[in-house]
Amino acid sequence: MKKAKAGLALTMVAALLLGMAGCGSPTDTSTDAGSGADSTAGSSAASSGASSGSTSDLNVMLETEVESLDPQIATDGTSFEVIADFTDGLMQMDASGKAVPAVAQTYDVSQDGKTYTFHLRKDVKWSNGDPVTAKDFVFGWQRAVDPANASEYAYMLSDIGQVKNAQDIIDKKADKSTLGVKAVDDYTLQVELNVPVSFFPSLMYFPTYYPINEKFFESCGGKYGTSPSTTLSNGAFVLDTYEPAATSFHLSKNDKYYDASKIKLPGLSYQVIKDSQQALMSYQAGTLDTTLLNGDQVDQVKDDPSYKSVGAGYLWYIAPNISKIPALANQNLRLAMTFALNRESITADVLKDGSTPTYTAVPPQFATGPDGTDFSADQKKFSAYCAYDTAKAQDYYAKAKKELNASSFRFKMTVDADDAPQKVAQVVKEQVEKTLPGVTIDLVVEPKKQRVEDMQDGNFELGLTRWGPDYADPMTYLGMWVTKNSNNYGSWSNADYDALIQKCTSGDFCTKPTERWNAMFDAEKIVLEQAVIFPLYTQCNAEMVNSGITGIEYHPVALNRVYKNASKADS
Amino acid sequence: MKASAQQAAAPVTDGTVFYPDDFELKNNADEIRIDSNFAAQSFWKEARIRFCRKKSAVFGLAMVLLITLLAIFGPGMNSYTYSGQDLSRKNFAPRVPVLEDIGILDGGENISTTTGSKKLNYYQLKKLDNVYYWFGSDTFGRDIWTRTWSGAQVSLIIAVAAALIDMVIGMSYGLISGYFGGRVDSAMQRFLEVANGIPRLVIVTLLLLVLSPGMLTIIFALMLTEWIGMSRIARAEMLKLKEQEFVLASRTLGAGSFFIIFREVLPNIIGPVITQVMFSIPTAIFTEAFLSFVGLGIPVPQCSLGSLISEGFNSFTTHPYQIVPPIVVMALLMLSFNLVADGLREALDPKLKEM
Amino acid sequence: MKKYALRRILLSLFTLLVILLVLFVLMQLMPGSPFNDEKLNAEQKANLYAKYGLDQPIFVQFFRYVGNMLTGDFGVSYNISKNTPISQLIQTRLPISIAIGGMAVALGTLVGLVLGIIAAIWHDTVADTVATVISVIGVSVPSYVFALALSYSFGFRLRWFPMLFTAKQIFASSVLPSVSLSMFTMASIARFTRSEMLEVLGSDYMLLAESKGISGPALIFRHALRNALIPIITVLAPLIVDLMTGSLVVEKIFSIPGVGSLLVTAIQSNDYNVVISLSFIYSAMYIGIMLAVDILYGIIDPRIRLAKEENA
Repeated sequence: MKKAKAGLALTMVAALLLGMAGCGSPTDTSTDAGSGADSTAGSSAASSGASSGSTSDLNVMLETEVESLDPQIATDGTSFEVIADFTDGLMQMDASGKAVPAVAQTYDVSQDGKTYTFHLRKDVKWSNGDPVTAKDFVFGWQRAVDPANASEYAYMLSDIGQVKNAQDIIDKKADKSTLGVKAVDDYTLQVELNVPVSFFPSLMYFPTYYPINEKFFESCGGKYGTSPSTTLSNGAFVLDTYEPAATSFHLSKNDKYYDASKIKLPGLSYQVIKDSQQALMSYQAGTLDTTLLNGDQVDQVKDDPSYKSVGAGYLWYIAPNISKIPALANQNLRLAMTFALNRESITADVLKDGSTPTYTAVPPQFATGPDGTDFSADQKKFSAYCAYDTAKAQDYYAKAKKELNASSFRFKMTVDADDAPQKVAQVVKEQVEKTLPGVTIDLVVEPKKQRVEDMQDGNFELGLTRWGPDYADPMTYLGMWVTKNSNNYGSWSNADYDALIQKCTSGDFCTKPTERWNAMFDAEKIVLEQAVIFPLYTQCNAEMVNSGITGIEYHPVALNRVYKNASKADS
Repeated sequence: MKASAQQAAAPVTDGTVFYPDDFELKNNADEIRIDSNFAAQSFWKEARIRFCRKKSAVFGLAMVLLITLLAIFGPGMNSYTYSGQDLSRKNFAPRVPVLEDIGILDGGENISTTTGSKKLNYYQLKKLDNVYYWFGSDTFGRDIWTRTWSGAQVSLIIAVAAALIDMVIGMSYGLISGYFGGRVDSAMQRFLEVANGIPRLVIVTLLLLVLSPGMLTIIFALMLTEWIGMSRIARAEMLKLKEQEFVLASRTLGAGSFFIIFREVLPNIIGPVITQVMFSIPTAIFTEAFLSFVGLGIPVPQCSLGSLISEGFNSFTTHPYQIVPPIVVMALLMLSFNLVADGLREALDPKLKEM
Repeated sequence: MKKYALRRILLSLFTLLVILLVLFVLMQLMPGSPFNDEKLNAEQKANLYAKYGLDQPIFVQFFRYVGNMLTGDFGVSYNISKNTPISQLIQTRLPISIAIGGMAVALGTLVGLVLGIIAAIWHDTVADTVATVISVIGVSVPSYVFALALSYSFGFRLRWFPMLFTAKQIFASSVLPSVSLSMFTMASIARFTRSEMLEVLGSDYMLLAESKGISGPALIFRHALRNALIPIITVLAPLIVDLMTGSLVVEKIFSIPGVGSLLVTAIQSNDYNVVISLSFIYSAMYIGIMLAVDILYGIIDPRIRLAKEENA
């Protein structure tokens, strides 16, 4: 009887849908006409654009809305990506992620490594015709540290860039005019740093360091970056349509761009799609040229030559609360847990998007050392402390049980309320509980903002979290586990480690790249030896890129997708 | 009323003298209970007969019982558990013994890929002859049959608990507000307006953030928002009834407010109230499903019908069979509760008696 | 009557003020702050709090907010669209939500009424069961499932309608979201119409009308439906507002730049001002609609007006 009823219910759904189809049919023709108009609009925009290269816009998707187009206010990857479409900084990234000249033609570094002098191109113009000068950079940078502006990414200048006086300005101990950046003349920018920062030029492609035309900014009266008319471009594209938190917007090629001959696309058309199934359907229907997929969809597309997996840079790891939870203060229990995790299975069976299992505290493929090798290319280097080995896990577990004089443990694991983290957490729970009988993990699901706050306050037991690199140097990760760092969630503290990191960031090794590199290896080793974190995997995004599209650049740092060198073959 | 009339008559025949005490409300619980029992019995009996006469209502009741039984015993009907994962057996299509021999539910599924569609049968590919997932397995290789029924269990518990608590709170609130009227009513209605004016989503998500997520929190959150409809109905009924003769009589006989509200009026509005409870059960299931979609439902790996639907939703275009069982069970539950509610409304509503 | 209406309006304004205060307090209870990105340090957090005045005591914030609101300033968004005035966000987004919600209500009411009337007239027959089953499917299948099913079949397979909302074809791209949203309204209206119609059909005046020889459509539409409609209006009002909140999931799936999806993101990212402003607008709409219904009701039916005046 039940089956029959179920059948009936389904038929009813079908009947209902058909009924709707009947209602909807009169609008058919108008829809078709509409979409026809759509495509002609696209091509007319195209013809007004570039004379060479592709003739139609690149249609791309975003998973979230743009939070801000103000380079000193934006904090998320989506916003950075769009800002970089129409703004160039001193440097830009090449396809491999290396910093290459953009607005700055050349730069000099002083002997002590503390003074950088950037020589600007003279042919760079804002879209209102004003030249881009060193003063625009000074204005932008001062905004970044101005306490009244309260940029969330001010630390890019203070902690990371070590620009002179940046921290004092943020702490309101100095005026913003004292910032260590100076326009020597219109086309020469001089920057003073507190300590030598070997990766400083690579910070220049980060939007927080982008220039802003002061005169134009003031004329917008607080509405800078909220519409095409309150936005100024000095980059490859110009914003055509946009409103705050728009779900679709458009950019056209900037004919006044100094490098305009290299830009092949007539325009970029953005569409926000939050549901990955809708995104794939749009891609298949041809309205998108590239799309992101979720792991479940990979089964559908893995034989498709357009499918590829792109590194996203984030390291996902589990942080144990070492200082507050006595059982987790036991190093053997932590090691037991990290050995119980089958990372291969998590990436291959659950995520399926190409994410790679990771056994190091610094993920691979974003930081290249003085000898040109990847910092974490060798994933087996710490296999004595971090690997999947159930026998070792049980050995450590037995020791831990003896030391702690307990036979069962119950932990709460805090997890983001998003799809992928919840999936990973469920598998982690199963793996640990199976390998270490007596351990129970309860999952606590929270929105990300709250999860971060709870973890920073030490109000957690185990936490599944991620960290994306801010600059192409291992220090963006290793700096986290210094005593008292707010992202050292477990409040772990180790004097040797702190000393090593101090030497690399502001001590002797600043000017000695090879020694610095080796010291960072040693520091990373301590983190894994003591299982301060349990690294899980390095996130990759599964993407579909239409076969006619070439030249989209993907980066794990700062700008995730760069479209300005892309081209689209006519189909 | 009848009892007091008899009392009044008795002394006259005996020739005894009246005392003022004789005319106070006879707080003799036995006598009153006998009286109301008598009326109630016949009422309930009649209602039962009328309910049983309505085939759809009986069908609905049978379905509710069947689903409840399956929710209790379904998870135990095979060897799987609701949280047991087996990543080597993920996304298996449904396979049922006997039925597979006639070509349906044999574990095969059509996967439409961007490069064309292909038919796959993981059971055959992995040479698992004696493995059966009746409703298929999910992305972790968990049995959907087991999960569907344990999800139904969670959803039913949440819904029934929330509906009952709502009934108690909403009914008392509405009755009290309606009975006293005037300033009390005005103040209580303002409060209700405020409570109702704040979007539910804000209250519920906030609660779930403040309290630790779990079944009790969800029940509490539902309770906080769902009592308002009930109180409206109770108040409207009270306004209708409070001027009627039996209330007047009771008051004349010295009955206190609370006696009138809960002993005189309440039994008379039980019909609409029960109907409202029946209707609020599906609403509770639905609200929980919505919370699951926003990611604030029952914590994983536990499941409810709502969380199963939102899990299945993610594989809707890839493995559509994963969303079917929870949706069908949910639809059947809603349908059954609605049918039962309709039947009850007609059985309990004296106005519809003649029909 | 005028006095009654005025009284009600004043009371409603007071209620709104209380709601605003409650929202403020609720935001204080909300765990976390709008600014807790992993990468933020304590000094920067303090600067941000100072910039937005969040370091002030709650009552100062409240009165300042109310004061600003009177001049049409709802504050700025902290997170989801940084530093954008919320009035600007609402201006562009609310009309879209209202349009799609309105279409959904119209469609749902129409289909619901038809289903309800059919079910009531042919009470206890196959037609009744079919109508009930349809309306139950409407309430039991979440709107996001409908949304994706519709998008897959009519957007992707048949290509009749766009899969996503586009400003270029507002009407065509609003069809699928409106239909998926209308299901719940349709089901509720059908259920309610059925029961109201049953009640009316069983009443004495219908018996009278029938015995006077009126029958067929005249009986149903002129006599029965008219009377059944009054209570239906009361359920419709809160349904309209519910629909606005209910639309958030559908807005997410169809990428509609409306206010519903904004509210969810705002709650999840602790964007206080956006949550408060949107919630307040919902409340205002809800109370406004209820007020309008109440007053209209009084005009239509003098019995209610009298009863109300007595009570109030």
